[in-house]
Amino acid sequence: MIEKIKFFLTVTGNNLWQFRTRNIFSVTIICLSFLTVGIFMSLSNNLRATARELSNNMIVAFYLDKSMPAAAVDALSQEVGKPAFVESVRMVTPEEALEKFRQSFPELADIVTGLKTNPFPASIELRVNGKASASGEVIAFVDSMKTRPGVTDVQFNQDWVEKMQGFSRLAGAIGAFMGGILLLTSFFIISNVVKLNVFARKNEIEILRLVGATNLFIRIPFWLEGIVLGLLGSLLSLGLLFVVINLFPIYLGASLGALQELLRFRYPDLTQAAGLLLGGAATGFVGSATSVSKFLKV
Amino acid sequence: MIELFHIWKQYQKPFWALSDVTLQIKDGDFYFITGPSGSGKTTLLKTIFREILPTEGQILINGVNILKIHDSRIYTLRRRMGIVFQDFRLMFHRTVFENVAVPLQVIGVARKEIRRRVFNTLQKVNLHQKMWELPSHLSYGEQQRVAIARAVVNNPEIILADEPTGNLDPELAFEIVSLFKDINRQGTTVIIGSHDRELIRHFGDNILFLQKGKIVGKEAHP
Repeated sequence: MIEKIKFFLTVTGNNLWQFRTRNIFSVTIICLSFLTVGIFMSLSNNLRATARELSNNMIVAFYLDKSMPAAAVDALSQEVGKPAFVESVRMVTPEEALEKFRQSFPELADIVTGLKTNPFPASIELRVNGKASASGEVIAFVDSMKTRPGVTDVQFNQDWVEKMQGFSRLAGAIGAFMGGILLLTSFFIISNVVKLNVFARKNEIEILRLVGATNLFIRIPFWLEGIVLGLLGSLLSLGLLFVVINLFPIYLGASLGALQELLRFRYPDLTQAAGLLLGGAATGFVGSATSVSKFLKV
Repeated sequence: MIELFHIWKQYQKPFWALSDVTLQIKDGDFYFITGPSGSGKTTLLKTIFREILPTEGQILINGVNILKIHDSRIYTLRRRMGIVFQDFRLMFHRTVFENVAVPLQVIGVARKEIRRRVFNTLQKVNLHQKMWELPSHLSYGEQQRVAIARAVVNNPEIILADEPTGNLDPELAFEIVSLFKDINRQGTTVIIGSHDRELIRHFGDNILFLQKGKIVGKEAHP
């Protein structure tokens, strides 16, 4: 058995080397296909993670009318802190809001410095328990507060969470669609490369048949070839994905400005990386097996 | 023993490549099948190693009807035979050693044992010194000896050779058939399809004459 395995590996290695030009071409196409899948997967990972972060740090801000008496503000502050899903309540004064704005947008600091009056209203910020953040209870509470006297506006980042989740799904869907088309291309390329290899080795296959090789014995090296091509392509795509992830922020990231955070790539996790590799091997195997069963009449 | 009973083979109507061929070849026989081109020599040999199926008839090898062997099990039959062709059918991008080793690799013989058996076989055909050369660097006669080495390396019960000397000059042809005769002396049944009268006259123990697919004569010189 070990001898046969050694034989198959040697034959596969020799064959890959013998037809190296077309094999390199095939590996390149597989690599590009899986790189596309990987890029969208990585983008989707980031959007999903951002949505998760937002939903774990859900903050509801109630902006208050400037003319609201202090006693009414206190009463409101105590009332909004009562529901079980509220983790903490914090009063934000107009001065604190101005300072926060200066820190968050240093490039716009000059604009507010020139103003005679502070344009920011006071607000009450609620931190909502991460588990309850998307519940109907919180949404109903926020809606009810919108009509309360003294509350001029309500900001709730649930909308952002939903948008992020939507973008993440979209990125995933685009990745799956483009990846699907490219994987199909890879499949046909492997299938055709193996077909050419089968034709090129017709004489050898004939000899193997005549000396008593089983069908399986003849087919295994072709299957292995497909698997190796697929694995090499997906492995190379993983390597390139890491390069893209590292180089993207350096060369293109800064030009995206505020979008940089959203269009950041995240490394695929171990399961995703293993999935890409297995996907490559599976594409190679299926492509090769289809071709072998169609063109190798043994 | 190889037994053929009323073998008929038709590739296209109305011509019969083989017509009612009945034949017995005993273990250890040295057998020539001869006749002009198109007489059915190659067809007869191909039916024996199940490369083609006869239109009618039965073929038994050691009592087993080989026409009933399922396609996926043909390898069991082929492993008991060695086959040599006029065009050698060598793998030209592999060394002499690799070509001869193939039948052993197919059955999973250990690497060390393969080395030993291939070397011994190449020694018998006097090619052991060219073991690591590519067949394309060898002469026709040497290439045919590689093909013979490949056919015998697995110690088959039967060797079938289809016009093994067709491309060779008379001296080399004589040398090649002598090699087959040596192999036969060790107990292997050898069946050679040839139209070389000189060789047949010199080596032919048993001769089958074919014409237009029919047996037109048999000779035995024990």
